Amino acid sequence: MSTKSLSFSKYFTLTRAGVLEALSFRASYIVTILGNLIYLVVIYYLWKAIYASSSTTVVNGMSFKDTMIYLVLATALASLFEVFLVWNIGRDIQSGKIVLDIIKPMDYQIYSFFNFSGNYVVAFFTTFLPTFILVYFLTGGAIALGTNLIFFIISVLMGLIINFCIDFLVSTICLFTQSTWGINIMKEVIVLFLSGATVPLAFFPEPLKTIVGFLPFQAIYNTPLLFLVDESLSTSKCIEMLLFQLFWVFFLFFATRLFWKKSLKILTVNGG
Amino acid sequence: MNKKGFKYYLKIYFKIQIQDIKSKMSYRADFFISLIGMLFTNISGFLAFWITFQNFPSVMGWSYYEMLFLYGFSLLALTPVQLFFDNNWSLRIHVYSGDFIKYCFRPINLFFYFISEVFDIKGIAQLFFGLLMLIYSWNKIGLDMSVFIFFKLIIALVTASLFMIALMNAAAATCFWIVKSGYIMIFANRFKDYAKFPISIYNPIFRFIFTFIIPIAFIAYYPSLIFLRPNAIPLLTYLSPIIGILFFYISYKIWMKGALSYAGTGS
Repeated sequence: MSTKSLSFSKYFTLTRAGVLEALSFRASYIVTILGNLIYLVVIYYLWKAIYASSSTTVVNGMSFKDTMIYLVLATALASLFEVFLVWNIGRDIQSGKIVLDIIKPMDYQIYSFFNFSGNYVVAFFTTFLPTFILVYFLTGGAIALGTNLIFFIISVLMGLIINFCIDFLVSTICLFTQSTWGINIMKEVIVLFLSGATVPLAFFPEPLKTIVGFLPFQAIYNTPLLFLVDESLSTSKCIEMLLFQLFWVFFLFFATRLFWKKSLKILTVNGG
Repeated sequence: MNKKGFKYYLKIYFKIQIQDIKSKMSYRADFFISLIGMLFTNISGFLAFWITFQNFPSVMGWSYYEMLFLYGFSLLALTPVQLFFDNNWSLRIHVYSGDFIKYCFRPINLFFYFISEVFDIKGIAQLFFGLLMLIYSWNKIGLDMSVFIFFKLIIALVTASLFMIALMNAAAATCFWIVKSGYIMIFANRFKDYAKFPISIYNPIFRFIFTFIIPIAFIAYYPSLIFLRPNAIPLLTYLSPIIGILFFYISYKIWMKGALSYAGTGS
């Protein structure tokens, strides 16, 4: 690829187009926020009941408020990260439309990322930010707002890229299986469960907790969320966590690229 | 349209199912992958439940096994919507592409014909999990079993299943009025996961909402009381079959209203 085509301005055009397109579906964001609100209500009462039945106010190092912040923001992050990449690429593979994207003078992996980057931008402002502000006030300002917020933002960005790479990897598998639903649901379940998005990782029993710590999934949700709820983290520990994320970003970025390039050779498109 | 009997529809249903199975068998890999995907969903759901409750012997007077009972019951009550009504997920795609018009020209009930087109066989995995949990918790709690109790259980499960079916019908039907309404189905689908929690954990306002507006309390909580709290069965439990049929009927009417106003895309 020539150096000229590596310029990023064409990719940012995709971001702009994505923002405009996403903005025409405003209703979907309102419904998503409503869904997050109902989820908030459900887990609020559920965990309130759980903590009420417990003899201590802090369980596994997490108070009721910590658990709430963690779980609600995990959902907000999940709606930020979810761009249905596997569905879209899977559909393009089945319909043959993918050929039109591959022959574009852009790198397909980066093209896919920027193709959905508009959704990320819009979802950040329409669902993540309102949910964040809501949780902040509902918990009476229990989220510490300091340097940890900078760590959090960097960490969310890296989590987003890790999540994208895993989605991209799974989309590549669809080239082989021609099956989308099953592959996608497996990915979704593994990612949401092992990343702590369904139950905070602090609650996991011991052998499982250590194993999950070595996997890339916890770097998607658990790492950014810990910056918000765990005030005992030292700066060196924070940097160590960020470096761990950075390792996964690089590793997954290049691994999924390589896998895609190798797999593309077997792509068969029926008709078109 | 002249009324056709139940037997006629049953015969048609099986004919359509055979076609569906034939077409699915040509994508065998997809079928197995989907089945494994369904197993994964249930295993992780159970693990999340287990991790949450392992530290707490009881929640608001509900023991671990009673919670598991509610969970198993909800999975079983949510099986019919997965098995028989999964085509609702494709409704918006058919409507958007104009493909939906083909259903309008059949001399049978439109809703029936559309819904029977797909039998989502991967729902079997959920059925299996639900049964396992229900039987296990049933034994652990030490509940009785007799022909009469079994009969009550079946009635309770069938009527409980109507609520999620109604919710999904109504959510799917929104696509007749709103373009790209997939997010509404995703919104409604999330309620499946909340059905397993006892409604008593909420404050009165949300108890009301989850009973009468988004009726998820009927999916597991109210019917389970027949078996778990036989001495204190509320009136709503007895009324739940009627409410279930009512909700289903309303959702069917909404769906049909949308379908009959469908004007096609002109292609």
